[in-house]
Amino acid sequence: MNIDFFATAIALLTFFGIAALMAISLNLEYGVAGIPNFGQALFVSLGAYTAGITYTRLMPLLAGQEVIFPCGNTLNPALQLRTEIMRTLPGVGLANFAITLVIAAVIGGIVGYGISYLTLRVRQEWYLALVLLVGGEIVRIIVRGYEPIICASNGLSGIAQPFNWLDNAQLASILFALMVVGFAFAAYLYSERLVRSPYGRLLKAVRENERVARSLGKNVARIRAQIMFIGSAMAAVAGVLFALNIGFVSANDYVVTLTLDVWVMIVLGGLGNNKGALVGALLVTVLDRVTAIVAIQLNMLGSEFEFNYLRFILFGVILLLMLRYRPQGILPEPQHTTLAHDMSDAS
Amino acid sequence: MPGPLLVDSLVRSLQVGSLYALMALGITLTMSVIRLPNFAHAEYITVGAYTALVVSLAVSSNPVVILGLSALAAALVALICHFAVFRPLEKRNPSTYTMLLASFSVGLILRYILFLLVDRFDLFDRRIAVPLEIWYRSNSIILTNVFFWVVPTTLGLVLALSALLNYTPLGREMRALANNFELARVIGIRVERVKSLTWILVGLLAGVSGALWGIYSSVNPLMGWLAILSVFAAAIMGGMSSFVGTILGAYLVSFSENTVMQLLNYYLGLDFSFKPAVPFIIIILVLLLRPQGFTEFFNRARGLQR
Repeated sequence: MNIDFFATAIALLTFFGIAALMAISLNLEYGVAGIPNFGQALFVSLGAYTAGITYTRLMPLLAGQEVIFPCGNTLNPALQLRTEIMRTLPGVGLANFAITLVIAAVIGGIVGYGISYLTLRVRQEWYLALVLLVGGEIVRIIVRGYEPIICASNGLSGIAQPFNWLDNAQLASILFALMVVGFAFAAYLYSERLVRSPYGRLLKAVRENERVARSLGKNVARIRAQIMFIGSAMAAVAGVLFALNIGFVSANDYVVTLTLDVWVMIVLGGLGNNKGALVGALLVTVLDRVTAIVAIQLNMLGSEFEFNYLRFILFGVILLLMLRYRPQGILPEPQHTTLAHDMSDAS
Repeated sequence: MPGPLLVDSLVRSLQVGSLYALMALGITLTMSVIRLPNFAHAEYITVGAYTALVVSLAVSSNPVVILGLSALAAALVALICHFAVFRPLEKRNPSTYTMLLASFSVGLILRYILFLLVDRFDLFDRRIAVPLEIWYRSNSIILTNVFFWVVPTTLGLVLALSALLNYTPLGREMRALANNFELARVIGIRVERVKSLTWILVGLLAGVSGALWGIYSSVNPLMGWLAILSVFAAAIMGGMSSFVGTILGAYLVSFSENTVMQLLNYYLGLDFSFKPAVPFIIIILVLLLRPQGFTEFFNRARGLQR
């Protein structure tokens, strides 16, 4: 047994930050506003594909160099070029990273905004879940089949994290982990404020009873579109970080199981509770890493048992047990009451 | 487009469409009677296919035995899932999303249990051991015995199912449940019994379709999952409630996956790797443009919900 515990902890922290972003985003959409987003993988993938495009097209321009087509015959020179830029020109790398985040958030947000209007058209509510699920698959198939985006099914490598230019690799990974967790924490603070605000109460009203909200003169369609914008933008940012963390963009990472993982997080943690989303993200990440490490160790010991399969079975069982015995999650949704409400209770 | 290519793709459309019809009828039945968009149906299909594989290797290569045992195995799994997961959940009066998530989880668990078993016994991408004979040959197409099993079996099962739904007490009770759950309970239909029987029926259908699908292509643990969204596309075209609509939807989905895709490939050079997107685009278009499905024409012709 030879595990570098410090490196494992840093990797875990990074994965946790990314998972937390996804979980908070889905919690806002479904837990608070009641929109069943079964297309989380779609929005995450939008961020990752954006990173794929900016790192190959925009970054050379920022560095004042010529853009090399990243696939086919020019694959190696293009890879060398972007590795070189990220190694030697930290300013360009960081600027490119910042621009990528902004573009990804805007694209994710706009797509989410547009898709939310489909809610108005679908007859049964769960149809929206299906539309989103299927939409994610369509985008995945197109990206996998159309070369210029991320070299079709080959994927793009060398999408390094923005602190890659540091000589000390460990320090670079620590900085990246801290930054990711910082993003997650910012998202947490933001959504916590959002949920406690009058707007948050409005979202819950829409979730609980759309007709009542509408009869009080609230524009339900617009509210849903707004929250989808926010949530999807967060998910796309998570996608950028996801791609940078593994240094590789591949259409095969953004499948339905990713969406399901995020659902496991929020159902486990507690629907409608941002702290719950964090707890769920932490538990799922730890379980995920632990099973991955155990699987590798077992394989090294020569075990024939495929531990990786057990991971999926475990997640499925967790989800079912939660739905059956504790649908409110580990941390149930807190009651945020207004002062007026408390006073009328007291009297 | 050269004739042989067209004829070949049409034959494939017919064959795959028949299989989709069998699978999609199971989905429509679950949705109508149980009120569950059941994604675990994919795994019932895979269970059927693997049972067929194991039976063909270990017991007999007689197609009737293979199909029968596969149907029973899938029905057993469907029933177990009902009693272990769906029924306890239903008692809590959950939202459709909860049920949707639960069916996803059940599918996930079954799929990876299959993966574990298949890995253990080294059964990846095996072919079901049935004798393959060529029954018809011309310069453009070759029809094997499989084709002549798939299409008539489908036809027979569809007719049997339709008779069951229309002319037997069980069928009447199922339709009553589909139509109005509360009313069905009030007039004394034994709801739980009808539900269990529906699950058995759904499982039988899934098992047969899985075995036939396995004979038609090869067997692997992902086969049901990869087919399920096409199958949902078919069911959605029938508005998830119409018998005839579902069958027509299945053939339409299969036609666009095979023949239309072949035409697009031949004339526009569209790569076949885009083929899986076809049913998805159909789903989105139908749900957005005509979410009630294309059932209205057929409503008088024996919809499940009238």
